[in-house]
Amino acid sequence: MKNKYIISFAAIAVCLSGCTKLNEDLQGQVGTAGVTSNNVSAVLSASYAAMIGPYQAPWNWSALQEVTSDEVIVPTRAGDWDDNGAWRSLHLHKWAPDHSRISDVFRDLNSITYVTTSVLGFSPTPSQAAQARFLRAFAQFSILDGWGQVPYRDAGEDVTKPSRVRNAADEITYLITELNAIIPDLPTGVASIANKNAARTLLMKIYLNKGAFLNRTSPTFDAGDMAKVISLADEIAAGGYALSTNYFDNFAPNNNIISRENIFTAENIAGSSGSDLDGMWKCTLHYNQNPNGYNGFSSLSNFYNKFEASDKRRGATYVGQTNVSGVRVGFLVGQQFDQNGTPLKDRKGNPLAFTPEVSIVERDPNHLEVAGIRVVKYAIDYVNTGSKKPDNDWVYYRYSDVLLMKAEAQMRTSQTAPALAIVNSIRAIRGATIFTSLTLDNLIDERGRELYWESFRRQDLIRFNKFLTPWQEKPTDDPKYLLFPIPDNQLGNPNLIQNPGY
Amino acid sequence: MALSFLMLLLTSAAFAQTVVKGTIYDTDKNPLPGATIQVQGTNTKAQTDGDGKFQIAVPSLTAKLVVSFVGLETQTVSVNNQTQLNITLKSSNDLDAVVVVGYASVKKSDLTGAATTVSAKDFNKGPLNAPDQLIQGKVAGVQMINNSGQPGGASTVRIRGNSAITGSGQPLYVVDGVALDGRSARPSTSAGIGTAPDGNPLNFINPADIESMEILKDASATAIYGSRAAYGVVLITTKRGKSGDTRVDVSASAGVSNLAKKVDVLSGDEYRAALKKYGLKNGDFGTSVDPLEAITRTGYNQNYSLGISGGSNGNTFRASLGYQDQQGIIKTTDFKKYSAGFNGNFKFLESKKLGLDVNMISNQYLESIAPITTDAGFTGSLISQALSWNPTQSFYNPDGSLFIDYGSTTINPLAALAANNDKTKVTTILGSVSPYYKITPWLEYRMLASVNYSTGIRRASTRSTLNLQGIQPDGTFLGGYASYSNSELITQQFTNTLNFNKEVINKLNLNAVIGYEYSNFMNKGTVNTATGFGNIAADYTDAFQTTAPANRTFSAFNSPVTELQSYFARAILNYDSKYILTATFRADGSTKFGPANRYGYFPSFAAAWNVKSESFLANTAWLNQLKLRVGYGETGNQDFPSGSSQQRYGFGNSNGQPTLVAINNANSELKWQSDKQFNVGVDFAVLSNRLTGAIDYFHKTTNDLLFPQISFVPAVGGNVPTWVNLPGQIINKGLELTLNGNIVENDTYSWSLGGNATFIKNEVQNINGTIKTGSLNGQGLTGVTTEVIQNGYPLFAMVTRQYNGLDANGFSLYTDNGFTNYFVGNPNPKVIMGLSTNFRYKKLSVTANLNGAFGQSIYNNTANSVLAISNLGTRNISSALVSLPVQESLANPIAASSRYIEKGDYIKLANATLNYNFGNIGKSIKSLNVYLNGQNLFVITKYTGFDPEVNVNKGVSGVPSAGIDYTAYPTARTFNFGVNFSL
Repeated sequence: MKNKYIISFAAIAVCLSGCTKLNEDLQGQVGTAGVTSNNVSAVLSASYAAMIGPYQAPWNWSALQEVTSDEVIVPTRAGDWDDNGAWRSLHLHKWAPDHSRISDVFRDLNSITYVTTSVLGFSPTPSQAAQARFLRAFAQFSILDGWGQVPYRDAGEDVTKPSRVRNAADEITYLITELNAIIPDLPTGVASIANKNAARTLLMKIYLNKGAFLNRTSPTFDAGDMAKVISLADEIAAGGYALSTNYFDNFAPNNNIISRENIFTAENIAGSSGSDLDGMWKCTLHYNQNPNGYNGFSSLSNFYNKFEASDKRRGATYVGQTNVSGVRVGFLVGQQFDQNGTPLKDRKGNPLAFTPEVSIVERDPNHLEVAGIRVVKYAIDYVNTGSKKPDNDWVYYRYSDVLLMKAEAQMRTSQTAPALAIVNSIRAIRGATIFTSLTLDNLIDERGRELYWESFRRQDLIRFNKFLTPWQEKPTDDPKYLLFPIPDNQLGNPNLIQNPGY
Repeated sequence: MALSFLMLLLTSAAFAQTVVKGTIYDTDKNPLPGATIQVQGTNTKAQTDGDGKFQIAVPSLTAKLVVSFVGLETQTVSVNNQTQLNITLKSSNDLDAVVVVGYASVKKSDLTGAATTVSAKDFNKGPLNAPDQLIQGKVAGVQMINNSGQPGGASTVRIRGNSAITGSGQPLYVVDGVALDGRSARPSTSAGIGTAPDGNPLNFINPADIESMEILKDASATAIYGSRAAYGVVLITTKRGKSGDTRVDVSASAGVSNLAKKVDVLSGDEYRAALKKYGLKNGDFGTSVDPLEAITRTGYNQNYSLGISGGSNGNTFRASLGYQDQQGIIKTTDFKKYSAGFNGNFKFLESKKLGLDVNMISNQYLESIAPITTDAGFTGSLISQALSWNPTQSFYNPDGSLFIDYGSTTINPLAALAANNDKTKVTTILGSVSPYYKITPWLEYRMLASVNYSTGIRRASTRSTLNLQGIQPDGTFLGGYASYSNSELITQQFTNTLNFNKEVINKLNLNAVIGYEYSNFMNKGTVNTATGFGNIAADYTDAFQTTAPANRTFSAFNSPVTELQSYFARAILNYDSKYILTATFRADGSTKFGPANRYGYFPSFAAAWNVKSESFLANTAWLNQLKLRVGYGETGNQDFPSGSSQQRYGFGNSNGQPTLVAINNANSELKWQSDKQFNVGVDFAVLSNRLTGAIDYFHKTTNDLLFPQISFVPAVGGNVPTWVNLPGQIINKGLELTLNGNIVENDTYSWSLGGNATFIKNEVQNINGTIKTGSLNGQGLTGVTTEVIQNGYPLFAMVTRQYNGLDANGFSLYTDNGFTNYFVGNPNPKVIMGLSTNFRYKKLSVTANLNGAFGQSIYNNTANSVLAISNLGTRNISSALVSLPVQESLANPIAASSRYIEKGDYIKLANATLNYNFGNIGKSIKSLNVYLNGQNLFVITKYTGFDPEVNVNKGVSGVPSAGIDYTAYPTARTFNFGVNFSL
């Protein structure tokens, strides 16, 4: 009897001494130790993939640059697009620190810097390291632009602890050093891979905006910085870029082949990319157009009226699109048709005729669905509408932007004649009449006409000191809106100080 | 030989004496086979036969008989000069009744914690799918809501309030000693049209096989389950065989279901009138249809169960078979369930000291699911498509084919049904073996080894005929979507316990258990999807190969394995059955916890005082029981994904390149969520146990809140959180009242009434910032959330714009023009209650179960985004909108506000049964009962949706929501006719 007793106790005692060490087996995933030099390329590919979320859609970084400007409005259309006032507050400059778009974009831009930094922790090749560092600088420049301060971490840092933060001046110095350091190691190849000219374009933007980022209410422009902008533009010009005769080729499904203008893009392979790029046309098209859109994003008549009728950028038919669905590229105004020329109707049976008139809150039931000029910048990829994974590469940087930045730097250092020549060379190709003189006012307008809906407008308006001026459907403003607020879910980090006024 | 000799002795002894004959019944007038009759003060015993009849020799006609039956109250009856006795045994209020408390059983009188047993006879009746439905409204402190009317759909069970700011918040279920994972192997990937609601993880248990359910509520009762016990523990005990003749129990029922309540939208004629009122020329298509009627039907159900049980010499068995087929009231929906169970209890050796319990539950259920989702956007899902369908427009073309408006975003609900084919099959086997050895009469070693294997397959498709972008053909794209997914869920458990039960010194009894337990949990599966099938003459899921390779995805997952290693002990000290002390301790080590916090420790203490046992109350005849209980304990919750404490990279592919994507932020300090609970209660019984009850006060503080926090950037992006233990508390405190009365009880009629009520207050304290959840969906509500977790508010407080009516132009007015949000609703009920009654007249009885909840708000997302005024001219609207004092503008924006927060108070007659007990028919059929049962017979509420008992999952990134209704599967009213009998 006693024996059995002892045996039983012994059985339990064996287990008490520890049947398992409780080491967690990750199964279908790997921990940090599972990343080796063999799969650094996979972590780098994940870095490129991390860029998709915040950049490749109209409602993320693009919305913060465009809906906050005179180029885009998302009117509340009765049943649609109220979305707790998120879109109105962007256009009216009335956003608050709990704005979900602002919070999500801040989070996702920072996730790019996180993933790219982690590449550096796994012994990458010099080229891999340079690409990762470029993508990080690219994202950090957006954070600097939007929020004026940039959180950062070293590879492997504990994310439950607050990150460190660089202020605008330190970040600018850091980015300039960083980009100069990596240019030698960056590839010179295709636009869809981080490359030397992409880094030079980013450097141009840093020098050009430096005085604006450091003093947003009254930007300054240092002659030395402008000289850098000009010399970098000349280095880029050696890359053999040329303006496309068909402006919209730069945004076509096969833009990776037919555009000679694109300097830095994100490659989308038909049917397999995870991009929301189709949102660029779906956000604006009406429900009854092909493809069915979300009937939201519109442009404003004051902006539309900046274009001459002859300007090819204002709108055109596009082969592979207009003949398929009747939808044009560029600005869509007035009656819309299908591919057979039959006029379309809205859901209430009214003619589907987009009106220049648009209000931040549409109050006429019969005007709701047709209010506002629509914009289709990326030519619609009908071959891949089913998979919702279009072939169009996302365009970050184009050569015409480089030329316009060079002209701006020249102009800001009193070299008006060469600046005018550059601007007119672009206008000529775009079908616009040439300028007789160049002013800051027609230069910012020209940037608008050339780069509309390409996520630059807010930055440009701030640099030209026009961001706070009243414009269509935005009567008043406040200097605090020159910066976005630090999202309230990040304020637990004591190193991030809320921007003034929020 | 020894036995026959004994029989001979008994018989010969009886020869000279008087013989008393009779029948033993239960309170439902069913004869009780196998009851024991003993002559008091002697060893003379007899057992009732299969008809409940007995005969026994008594020394004199003034002798007393002691009649007993397992689970029923033992009765002593005077023979009193009669030779024919009919005795009815009441159900056990007996303090000697044994209850399961986790790893052991104790006498009910020794309980110190708040625990409630519900046995089979008190279960809710009817064609129910899962065990949690059996106890709805039955237990104070337990809120059980069916999330929707979907057959086999998920439910929400909250024991003593809501403290889950992440995870399911569901209690731990333990079936015959085997703790369940809590997840379901039913894959969640639907037919490409949004997120389909979950199924109930308990579907694999056949309710007909359950003997009793024990709900452990306070920490002194649950702490033995440590880091999984914070949301309460439900112990399910399945039916066992009893020694005696082999017995066959048969039950069968069949019935019909119909839509219980409609949502009030305009009819065709009302719609025309509304168009006229608004001066709209378009929108009248000239006919009148009822879309809700078009997608619903009378659903038929049939339910059969068979139990075969018996045994002898202490070896018993029970085998069971069950089949259930429940058609949903939404066309095409169906829930079928096949179950088979076996358990055996065997004793070995001459001494019978070695025993073996084996247990097996096997089950397969098959669902056919409608295209109803929890997060539909502006194109809606089946319910919103039907509710908002223009009632003047036919579903059909003149040629009889379905009208499908290509190019439009309005979807014909019948076309959506026709295009959808979504089927799941979940197969579960739960097996356990548990050998034990009685080392001494007071010391027993027991081992339990179990495997719970569950696998689910889901085939879902939406045919290209539907006019939905991404589904319809488009250029070279052939259209159509299909997914094939499977999932495996495996739990293994290995438990060793040593039980001690002995009077250690005079009047001081020690009942103790110590144990070791190891469990592991695995979850893996695959998801395949494809698009571009075209209108082929085959089910898409049978023909994935017809699609272009670029249109296919294939992914697999295998979650990090969770291992749980635990040491536990409990001691119950009982002095003279008056003073009882319980102490419990569990140490739980889990691989989920960060390396810095691998083990959690969960102590509890409780005391009880049986006041009635004191000499000063011995003569208080009217008082039968008075017991005071007080307890305190700590429990935990580890309901978060495995691998959360580690930095992890997942394998992916982007643009043809392999990627290694960071998918989790490490937190080496991550640990369990911790609950501290104080409980004080009193149990009482008065008037010969005719009136019994309990009152409990509890105060539960939840700390170290598990939360998927948005990391301090830079960190892994998207919705990938860092799992942290948030500082801050959630307090749930409340009062539970239970009262059960046997108002009348005699042979002719009886009437009993039972009720419970719980008053709960819930508050969030000391949390930094605001956690947003409760996402709304539909047009105009993208990115809108309506609930917060914030200091000073109840959990999931509804914070949104405050609506102040319409202005003269018919536009909404909000406080501060809608720029500020206010606390305008609380989804947590202030009071929950249940009421049961049973009335019997001779052989006819009526049972009714009501439940209700009061003080809670419901956010009606359906009214907000699906039925808004701006639909007029194209789609349907809420009827209430046409009779507003001010005519609402058709351009009034759809916006979230307190306008759509409704009072959710309700009281519901959840089920009622009219039963006739024929008793025994002939020689072979015993206790034949025939009944008529109704479910959801009526609900009293002001809520305008289908059912105020609703909880659609509108959580955000792993943070749940509460009290939001969005186009949920409507509730059915069901009538069943059934019969049960034994052979």
